[in-house]
Amino acid sequence: MTALVVLEGVVIVLLVVLVVGLLRSHAEILRRLHDLGAGLYDEGAPTSALSSATATASTVPETPHGRTRPGVAEPRPVATAVSDLSGTTPTGAVRGVAVRGVEHGTLLAFLTSGCSTCLDFWQAFRTGGADHLPGRDTRLVIITKGPEEESQSAVVDLAPEGITTLMSSQAFADYGVPVSPYFILVDGPSGQVVGEGAAGSWPQVRDLLVRAAADAGMAMPTGESHDVAAAKHRAFVGGRQREAFADDELRAAGIHPGHESLYPTEPIGGAVLHDHDHDHGDHAHQHDPAGGV
Amino acid sequence: MSRVKGYGLSADPKAGWEVEIYQREAATVAAGRAARAQPGALGDEAEPGVLLDADGARVQAGVPTPILHLANFPLPAERGDYGGGAVELMGRGGVFISLLEHDPAEAASALFSRKQVPWPLGVGDFAPNQMQRTIGGQSGCQRFFVVGGRAFCLYVAIGSHTLRALVLPEVNQLLSTIEIS
Repeated sequence: MTALVVLEGVVIVLLVVLVVGLLRSHAEILRRLHDLGAGLYDEGAPTSALSSATATASTVPETPHGRTRPGVAEPRPVATAVSDLSGTTPTGAVRGVAVRGVEHGTLLAFLTSGCSTCLDFWQAFRTGGADHLPGRDTRLVIITKGPEEESQSAVVDLAPEGITTLMSSQAFADYGVPVSPYFILVDGPSGQVVGEGAAGSWPQVRDLLVRAAADAGMAMPTGESHDVAAAKHRAFVGGRQREAFADDELRAAGIHPGHESLYPTEPIGGAVLHDHDHDHGDHAHQHDPAGGV
Repeated sequence: MSRVKGYGLSADPKAGWEVEIYQREAATVAAGRAARAQPGALGDEAEPGVLLDADGARVQAGVPTPILHLANFPLPAERGDYGGGAVELMGRGGVFISLLEHDPAEAASALFSRKQVPWPLGVGDFAPNQMQRTIGGQSGCQRFFVVGGRAFCLYVAIGSHTLRALVLPEVNQLLSTIEIS
């Protein structure tokens, strides 16, 4: 009987040791998964990573990085150096793009023509997804690797109209781009990276960039991107929009088509209105009874 | 930004300046996109040497020739050879430079009688009526010349005629970096 009790006690001790060992092993596995960003209890964690650096910081703070899912790049421990861009356009032109020492911000979107995640971004940009960007009059510049590493014809098809697209392996190297897609927001006046990182969708990137811009003191409401604002300004200054604006103003002032003020009969500013006695040469035009031309 | 070279032209833009060197033929690749765009996307302008089809797409003809653009503001992705679509964006301190090569066959014409580069430019070289298309306040300068048997047109647009004396040193500095090989 005594022997039986002793044997049972030994078995219980062995089982306790075994259970403790299993629990420690399980804890170690969980800790490793946690470190890899795939913890069992991280379902609510973001599927993206985007670090922010203040305009004056030379390195990203040494606090633990945000965890990332597999395939999503982690923030880098050292702030990215900013350099201007040079490369070729998808149509073969040689192009240099200024990023630092300029008044506007620049969002650099490093994409490829092949990855499925990148295709979502190309699509988003083609459909106006980047019409509103965070930061200071932010301009979107899409960068792919150079023609030696990327399909030029594919990029021609993917490149959104009106958005500067540059093919430059040098830019990937200069900015140490770890994976595509990857995004870097640069503050032009300071020439510093405001935020950078990767995400699985454009809305995620945009939201994270808004936060990064706010952290860097660029907490202004997300506005029209540089390209959209430029297109509107261009249309206003040089196109039909200006004509329409002038027409609206004249109508508001009570001056409608045919209004007598449009057909003065007296000289204006020294100019003599003819009435009319010259040779039309090879052209002909009509004159209304009020003397207009 | 280091020196940018292409098609026998090069320039060394200073900080904050942008540059692009392209050929007119290269632009035809973009014509398909321009055709899909709304007519007038390039500003409804018919620039010298550029034909527009009914959709506003650029139709190229003749010998492919390079064009160099320099600007101290962001160059829009879509613009005309003479800066249509870009100069409208210039502020008062803005500068846009276009160096356009013409068909070598034109080099012997009277228009290209000057046999050296026309820079440095002077204050008196600029006039509002030299803009490709008049934009209030802006001023332009256009010169034709031949170097090494290649015929060129230099077109410079600045954001303010009044302030031309202030921006001229910067313009001349940038022009002096242009090399024609």
